[in-house]
Amino acid sequence: MTSPLSLAASRRIDGRPVLVVTGEIDMSNADAFDAALTRSAADGDRLVVDLGAVGYLDSAGLAVLFAHGARIELIVNPVLAPVVTFSGLPEVVPVHGPAPGADSV
Amino acid sequence: MNGARLSGPVDPPPSRNGRAELMFPGTSEMARRMRGHPWPRTPMGDPSTWPTSLRTACRICLTSRFPMIVWWGPELRFLYNDAYLPLLGSKHPALAKRGDEVWTEIWHTIGPMLESVMASGEATWSEDLLLATNRHGYWEETYWTYSYSPLHDDDGAVRGVFTAVSETTERVIGERRLAVLQDLGAQAGRARTVTEACELVADVLERSGQDVPFAAIYLRHPENGEPVLAATSPRGATVAPRPGGPGDWPVRQVLLAEEPVTMTDVAERFGELPSGGWRTPPTQAMVLPLAGETGGRTVGAIVLAAGAGRVLDEAYESFLSLVARQTAALVNAAVAYQLQQRRAEELTELDRAKTAFFSNISHEFRTPLTLIMGPVQELRGALAGADERVREDLEVVHRNGLRLGKLVNTLLDFSRIEAGRMQARYEPVDLSAATTELASVFRSAVDKAGLAFEVDCPPLPEPVHLDRGMWEKVVLNLLSNALKFTFDGSIRVAAHAEESHAVVTVADTGIGVAKDELPRLFERFHRIESARSRSNEGSGIGLALVRELIGLHGGTITADSVEGEGTTFTIRLPFGREHLPDDALVPAVGTEAVSATAAPFVEEALRWLPGDDTEAPRWAAAETFGGDVTGSPRPAAGEAAPARVLIADDNADMRDYLTRLLGPHYEITVVTDGQAALEAVRAGAPDLLVSDVMMPRLDGLQLVAALRADPRTAGVPVLLLSARAGQEASIEGLDAGADDYLVKPFSAAELLARVRANVELARMRSRHARWRTAIMESLQEAFFVTDETGAVIEINAAFTDILGYGPEGLPYTPLHPWWPHEAEDPQAHRMVAALFAQLVTEGRGSGMLPLTHRDGHRVWVAVTFNDVADPETGLRRMVGTLRDVTAEHYRVQRETALAALSMRVSQADSLRDALSGALEELRGVWHARRVLAAVWSDRDEPALTSTTSGPRWHDLPERLRRALTGLRERPPLSPVADEPGGAGVALEHPDGMLALWVDLGRNRPFTAEDQTLLALLAGHLGQGLHRAHQLDQQRETAVALQRAILGPSHLPGGFAVRYEPATRPLEVGGDWYDIVPLAGDHVGLVVGDCVGHGVQAAAVMGQLRSACRALLLQEAGPAHVLTALDRFAAFVPGALCTTVFCGRLDTVTGRLVYSSAGHLPGILALPGGGVELLSEGRSTPLGVRLGRPRPEAECVLPARSTLMLYTDGLVERRRRPISEGIDRAGSAIQDGRGTAIEDLASHVMSLLEPAAGFNDDVAVLLYRRPAPLEVTFPAESAQLAPVRTALRDWLGRCELSALVTQNVLVSAGEACANAIEHGSGYDAGQSIRLRAVVTADDLRVTVTDTGRWKPPRPEAGRHRGRGIALMRALMDEVVIDRGTAGTTVDMQTRIS
Repeated sequence: MTSPLSLAASRRIDGRPVLVVTGEIDMSNADAFDAALTRSAADGDRLVVDLGAVGYLDSAGLAVLFAHGARIELIVNPVLAPVVTFSGLPEVVPVHGPAPGADSV
Repeated sequence: MNGARLSGPVDPPPSRNGRAELMFPGTSEMARRMRGHPWPRTPMGDPSTWPTSLRTACRICLTSRFPMIVWWGPELRFLYNDAYLPLLGSKHPALAKRGDEVWTEIWHTIGPMLESVMASGEATWSEDLLLATNRHGYWEETYWTYSYSPLHDDDGAVRGVFTAVSETTERVIGERRLAVLQDLGAQAGRARTVTEACELVADVLERSGQDVPFAAIYLRHPENGEPVLAATSPRGATVAPRPGGPGDWPVRQVLLAEEPVTMTDVAERFGELPSGGWRTPPTQAMVLPLAGETGGRTVGAIVLAAGAGRVLDEAYESFLSLVARQTAALVNAAVAYQLQQRRAEELTELDRAKTAFFSNISHEFRTPLTLIMGPVQELRGALAGADERVREDLEVVHRNGLRLGKLVNTLLDFSRIEAGRMQARYEPVDLSAATTELASVFRSAVDKAGLAFEVDCPPLPEPVHLDRGMWEKVVLNLLSNALKFTFDGSIRVAAHAEESHAVVTVADTGIGVAKDELPRLFERFHRIESARSRSNEGSGIGLALVRELIGLHGGTITADSVEGEGTTFTIRLPFGREHLPDDALVPAVGTEAVSATAAPFVEEALRWLPGDDTEAPRWAAAETFGGDVTGSPRPAAGEAAPARVLIADDNADMRDYLTRLLGPHYEITVVTDGQAALEAVRAGAPDLLVSDVMMPRLDGLQLVAALRADPRTAGVPVLLLSARAGQEASIEGLDAGADDYLVKPFSAAELLARVRANVELARMRSRHARWRTAIMESLQEAFFVTDETGAVIEINAAFTDILGYGPEGLPYTPLHPWWPHEAEDPQAHRMVAALFAQLVTEGRGSGMLPLTHRDGHRVWVAVTFNDVADPETGLRRMVGTLRDVTAEHYRVQRETALAALSMRVSQADSLRDALSGALEELRGVWHARRVLAAVWSDRDEPALTSTTSGPRWHDLPERLRRALTGLRERPPLSPVADEPGGAGVALEHPDGMLALWVDLGRNRPFTAEDQTLLALLAGHLGQGLHRAHQLDQQRETAVALQRAILGPSHLPGGFAVRYEPATRPLEVGGDWYDIVPLAGDHVGLVVGDCVGHGVQAAAVMGQLRSACRALLLQEAGPAHVLTALDRFAAFVPGALCTTVFCGRLDTVTGRLVYSSAGHLPGILALPGGGVELLSEGRSTPLGVRLGRPRPEAECVLPARSTLMLYTDGLVERRRRPISEGIDRAGSAIQDGRGTAIEDLASHVMSLLEPAAGFNDDVAVLLYRRPAPLEVTFPAESAQLAPVRTALRDWLGRCELSALVTQNVLVSAGEACANAIEHGSGYDAGQSIRLRAVVTADDLRVTVTDTGRWKPPRPEAGRHRGRGIALMRALMDEVVIDRGTAGTTVDMQTRIS
């Protein structure tokens, strides 16, 4: 059994590709997360990875994000913010706060 | 006077004269004066204005014949009557003068008294008050008795003083003078010399200075009659006349005229003589003659000065002449006494000289007599067959020698009587028989003289106490006298009884005595001149001696005589013995033949008779001064063996002589000096020692002293022989301790008599001694006598039995051989030394002592001693008894030791305690250095217990280890004391064989009794240890049971409990706690407290606990549970009044519903600080009120808060309010809210435990929520999400912030991921454990895996590598312990 995770690829109003992640990212589903990122990075724009609905992100998930660092942007909620900040990810990936109206965990 | 004016007389005033007559009635001088006094001009005013009281007082005063005064007004104006005039003297008239002007000189005394009466209104009374007055122109000693009474005016204010007075001067002084005279009279008979008499008088007068301030006594010089100063009073007062003055005391003039002289110019002559306490020195004196005895001239004169306080009037003069007369009487008495004394001394001196003379001449005669008679006797024997002439001459010499000897003996008797040294021994004698026998001695001589001899002595009704020797002399003298002066007719001896007397008469028909000579017949040395007699021989002392001898018997002798017709001597001797000194009385010795004394009398008498050529009677030879003794001394009655007599004399002749004398009758040993005698006596005490005084080496006196000083020889009787005459010599001998004393020369008979007497006395004494010895020996108790130094000088057989030392070793000087050796047993030695010191210093005491028997064994004795004075020597002796209490001592010691040991063992909490306690007891019994016990269980090396701290087996000396090991081989309980300074025994210990060793220290003996005791104690110890062992096991069982009863062995998470029973060693009690898991996340909480302690309370508790638990399991609410328990408690004896706190807790929400049956409130420590008490839902203890619904309360335990339920033992302290204890407990929990719950429980218990331990049962239940989280899961990544859910859930119950929750969640997730990495894929089935614990301000997560460490595979760490960094970033502290058995990650974060 893996931790609950749903990945939904779409485009924003401005046409940029977005991957909306819901659930928890840990060692058990990090591979799936990685695959989804790989799949979603199709054109020249940075992929927006929306982690606003992710309640748990461990070092395995961070490793995946670092791996795709050059071609993604991140949206994180306050729960994940300390982990993301302590990891040093903001140095390689543009990190944004949650979009207004987004659910917070 | 204002008052007087205001009140005013109401009646019209009478006429002036009549009025005055009424006011001042009578014809007395003072009445007249008062009537004529110009009152209105004085401050007292007109008498008509006087208050009634004053007027009344005046009337009383004037009409009284007693001296009276009225003092009036503030100035105390002076009114008085005629009777007072003599008292006032020249101060009269003084009417209405101020008081202080009249009596100026005594105002300092009476003024304040008067003022005080005026002020206080209270009367005073003074008796014989001395006031120095000046009323006759000189200062005078006067005495007064008076009262001061207040006089009130009409308004009641004190305005004056009324005085009734009497002068007592004459009486007081008269009494005082009488006392002086009595004092003088009391001196009569005290003075032994004239000087003393004068000094006594001076002493008396010195005490009487008021009456005789100065005195001087002059006595006539005994030779020239000139006056000489003998004494003065006060002593040492100067009496020299002033130069240029009128001269000295007219003593000579008085002596000459024998008339007293009164002098008034004393001050001019002598200046200031002693004043005798008066302000001024005497001015007057008398010189009075001291009259001699009636008809004699004056013996002296006495000067007596008169005190300045009185005029030398007639009374004074007569007093002084009485003093002089008393003085004269005292002086004369002393003179008379001195005269008498001198006469007595002269007489005594005369007497002494005479006695000395007698004594001397008799001794002077005896010495040559010995030298004559000894050889004569030798010659008589040697020349028995010689020429007739020679033999006749020898007989003449011999007979005259005898005569001279008799004469000398009589003189000596006399001098003895004179000196009071005649030692009589009065025995009851048949007077008639004795007298008849004596008379018969004379029969042949009387017959030969041709006279009739009548002896008429019928038996008398009772015996007469006589000294036989003296009586012989009396009768023989009288008969000899009769024969001497009787030429025709008869001599008659008769005896009869007359009332209380025996009467013996000796009558002759001889020449008689002239009437005027009769009174002097018995006078010493008085011879009747020119009387016709058979012989002119005679010293004139025979009859005098007879009278003295009869006097000694308490009898009388009288003589009746008619000249030419004859003389009758009548002797009266009293019957009975009351008239004789007790110490001279002896029992009847029995009839005795006429002694040798008779021979010279008869021989002499025969010599007076014509044709005297008859042989001396055969027995006459008995009286000799030497040679054979043919008369046989009566052998001592009942004595078979001859007595042993030791003779000590340096003179060979004397030795031979004595040997010959005593040889036939006694067993004789002869030595030549005192030293040899001493040695001989020590070798074997003789019955009598006859010793010369003058001897080389050791003289007789020294010999006696040496014998007496030694207890073994002190009893040997000694007869001293000396050539030294006189009383002093004999006293010296007797003082030295000799029993008898014989002055050379002595007659053989005298010697034999003395020897016989002393031997008999000695035998009698030795009979006493034997009797005493027999009593002593028959005593069961040992008996001893010591001298003042503590040396034992006498013991009995029991003593020897107890201590082994016999009489042969006497004396035993300290330190006695039976003392315990100081080096071997110092304690015992000290005990003995202490009591011995008491013996010597205090002389009495008692105690129990350890002594050493001669054969070395220890003896315990009870000793008691007392000091006594030796009745013979007066020396201090200690007499004591010993009783062997060894058995008793050891029995007591055994019982005491056993009791102590049993107590120690029974009080012990454990087998271990029992053993170490027992060793302590054993150490105490023997005062041992240490006591060791080695127990061999199944181990190789024995377990060691010691009274000294912690020696190990290998620390022990090799020898001791061998000894202990050796004990194992021996049968149990057979002690071994082979090793010096120690003893051991083996016994059975529950764990194996036990070897016990008592280490006594250096050289202490371990006696057979000690060994017995050791065996006994070891036996008891063995039993005690087994009992303790059984107790141990029982206790273990009980504790296990107790724990089982108490509560769940596995507590749900978040709980900690403690239980401490008050009663040891059993760990059970009446308090309990219970935690009952219920449906859902609910838990039942119970803490209760039954009344009482111990097993009974525990039994009640067990039932209540079970009931409570059952009720909770039925899902009953706390109030319901307690209500049901109320009913239940009613059926369980002892359950009433149990207090219970019962709660139902939702561990998820922290909601607690509770009810308390009189129990103490629970304490809740909040996570942010502060304490709450769960004090609601309270009602009465169990069973108090049945059927009443109980209240219930509800509260929510915040997350991370700590709840404590407890019983009162935790918080109750004597004399402190319980709230104080609860506060302390609250603080303790609050302070420990950051501590893990289990640690907190220990912390609270130790913090609240009193120094002496809890004195009541204590139960404590602690809970903190949430309970720690414990999750165990397989090492699979799929487990991460559920574990995370559980953790998040738990963290939610901890009520933490979202941030902390996330941080903990991520960190724990990383740790778990790591663990899964380590464990998964290699060994299936490995599991990971996560534990999370929260306190008030701290959260801790521990993740443990059991996987073996493998280097991480590269591909597996694809997404990893940042985990540990993340943990460290998110948590405050991260510790990773990678062990061979797995890895533990311990993370901690603060949450406040």
